[in-house]
Amino acid sequence: MDFSLSQEQRMFRETVYRYGRDEIAPLCEEADLKGEFSFEIWRKLASFGILGLPLPEEFGGSAANILTCCLAGEALGHAGVDGGSLLAWGAHTYLCAHNIYAFGTEDQKRKYVPKLASGDWIGCMGLTEPGAGSDAASLSTTAVKKGDRYVLNGSKTFITNAPVADVMVVFANVNKARKHEGITAFIIEKGTPGLTTGKPFHKMGCKCSSTSEIFLADCEVPEENILGGEGKGWFIALSGVEWDRCTLLSPMLGAAINNLESCARYANERHQFGRPIRNFQAIQHRIADMKVFVEAVRLAVYRVASAKDNGQMLNPLQAAVSKVYAGDRGFDMASEAVQIFGGYGFMHEYPVERNFRDSKLAAIGGGTSDIMRMIVSRIMMM
Amino acid sequence: MDYQLSPLEVKMQQDLAAFCRTEIAPRAKMLDSSSRPGVCTYMKENLKMLFRGGCLEAGHIGDVIDLIAVYLAGEEIAKACPATFLSARASTFLCAGALRLFGAPDQKQRYIPDLMKAELVGAFAYSEEQAGSDMAAITTVAHKDGKTWRLNGDKNIVINAPIADVFLVLAYSEKDAGAESGMSIFICDKGAEGSRIGEPVETMGLRGVPLAGISMNDCVAAGILGDTPGKGYEQVTRILTMGKVGIAALCVGIGTACTEISVKHAKERKAFGKPIGLYQDVGFRLADMFTINDLGRMLALRAAWAINTGEFEADILAASAKLFASEAVTKIANWGMQIFAGHGYVAGSDIERFYRDAKFGEICEGASEIQRSLIARSELDKFLQR
Repeated sequence: MDFSLSQEQRMFRETVYRYGRDEIAPLCEEADLKGEFSFEIWRKLASFGILGLPLPEEFGGSAANILTCCLAGEALGHAGVDGGSLLAWGAHTYLCAHNIYAFGTEDQKRKYVPKLASGDWIGCMGLTEPGAGSDAASLSTTAVKKGDRYVLNGSKTFITNAPVADVMVVFANVNKARKHEGITAFIIEKGTPGLTTGKPFHKMGCKCSSTSEIFLADCEVPEENILGGEGKGWFIALSGVEWDRCTLLSPMLGAAINNLESCARYANERHQFGRPIRNFQAIQHRIADMKVFVEAVRLAVYRVASAKDNGQMLNPLQAAVSKVYAGDRGFDMASEAVQIFGGYGFMHEYPVERNFRDSKLAAIGGGTSDIMRMIVSRIMMM
Repeated sequence: MDYQLSPLEVKMQQDLAAFCRTEIAPRAKMLDSSSRPGVCTYMKENLKMLFRGGCLEAGHIGDVIDLIAVYLAGEEIAKACPATFLSARASTFLCAGALRLFGAPDQKQRYIPDLMKAELVGAFAYSEEQAGSDMAAITTVAHKDGKTWRLNGDKNIVINAPIADVFLVLAYSEKDAGAESGMSIFICDKGAEGSRIGEPVETMGLRGVPLAGISMNDCVAAGILGDTPGKGYEQVTRILTMGKVGIAALCVGIGTACTEISVKHAKERKAFGKPIGLYQDVGFRLADMFTINDLGRMLALRAAWAINTGEFEADILAASAKLFASEAVTKIANWGMQIFAGHGYVAGSDIERFYRDAKFGEICEGASEIQRSLIARSELDKFLQR
């Protein structure tokens, strides 16, 4: 075992942290209040090379391994970059760009990946439907072959980045009788006839990521836009889970560190009854719980990342532990951070308020906590 | 970064697990329900069996303690019989471990080999009726009588006291110097002049552990650990910080045992036509038991590694592991009891024994409240503007 970071990894984390703190975090409060995708934040992430992190250099990326991607997520969350902007990054880089890189043809890679890596194009992934969430195999969007094209019909919902996306990876079934074996991924470009997106949803948290429905009405997609082959969509969707359980959770770890530090600062400075509130055990013990959470969730997230970097198969138990703990306990801890700040914590101008709203997503997005428990209990009962 | 155990560590853990499952686990119920004299006999036998099974020396090499190996062996022993783990730990880790880290060469030679073979049993006596985490409040004192140190005071609950051959005893050697430089750890042999072992103490759980108080009335000590007085506080703090990883091993071991038997029961017990584990109320609870136990193990290994490598904040990670794993196991045992329901509540069921055993973790060697205070102070101090 070796739990240490290399000198290079520590320096990388520090550099990203400083950049996030100085260049991006100051923009987040206003962007979150507006509740809109921030192109300014997006350009900041792009110009620092964050958007192409795991992609190879020949496609405009940095060829970073997964652990490095997690370090970047942690560092940006720690720096006070809002969960929405980091979610937009995650959906773009891991679920869209990296999927095209990992499963695409040479032509597809050359056409899409460099522009996604640079952030000139924004990507999204459309899997969830109004009637198919964690039960993704039951999705009802269809793709019917017509000559050298496929005609797609159906709708997607809760799609991160959909309203701003230039490139979408969308899942549809080419043969419903084959159930999940018929699921196929398509690359669809903005402006394709028959493709529309809904009005951005007003969300509880992660507000700087723009989320909407996608509507496909006789949307014709050329067959060369199939990603990974007909019937390979299910595998592609599942592979996204591996990213979800580490890279997409790493900003949540970062936000928890951000909360812990701001609470520790506040508890030292805030005086009541003639002494700093750090002297009260009820405050101290919340701080302790937040610290233990940070250490435990870091282990859970990095264990998934380090296994993936070592080329091991995803351990579904470890992945579920990471997700359910970050989601449920993370929300509780974010709530305690608000509590430490009292009335100030209830105000928008304090990051603990935003972190609290953002934190709820970890228990919902990419498979709810209930689904995680279902996965673990099924394995245990086998 | 590598979150995997080495193949050697995995092999060791599997071998010890197999041994403990067949040799130690079947005796756990007997230890729990025996009379106090019976407990002493059976526990001495268990310690010898652990030695023969290769469980005691794991992680103890020369002057070095590899806490990862100690943890892995400890988890397996605790899973098989929590009481046996606690007794073995007091002898080979707290007592022999302290000798290994701080003892003078002749002290090491005299005690360590026999302690590690369970030819001798060791005990570590530090807390008192009015002094637990507030270690400075101990009242046991030592004075020099010619060349001999003599001890006066009472230690009210000492693991292994009824069966121990050698005791490490924390006392003030120079009260005026204060806790940090006025304390020493004394080595006392069984039956030393002026020492008296009290009546065995009965406990709610971990009933297989031989437990008693010691009274010292001008008790003759065999020497000071390391031969230099005034180092006791530092020594006891260091061994107890490392010891938190051991308490985490106890808790995760019990947690694993509870989870395994609960899963088995949830598969076998049927209600309304299907195994109860297929109902979400039970299945999700099993998932939660697995989750927090797994995280407790990760935190313990993390802390073990931090202490092995002398990492910054190792003490805080150890406190975190102890806090997390001990609070996890009381939840796990409680949920396990709920899954077994009536079958668990009857005396003599395994989950009932684990339920009683589990509570110890939150209480011993710095209650949860103390661990939280320690962790919080460290975090708060990082951001103190001076």
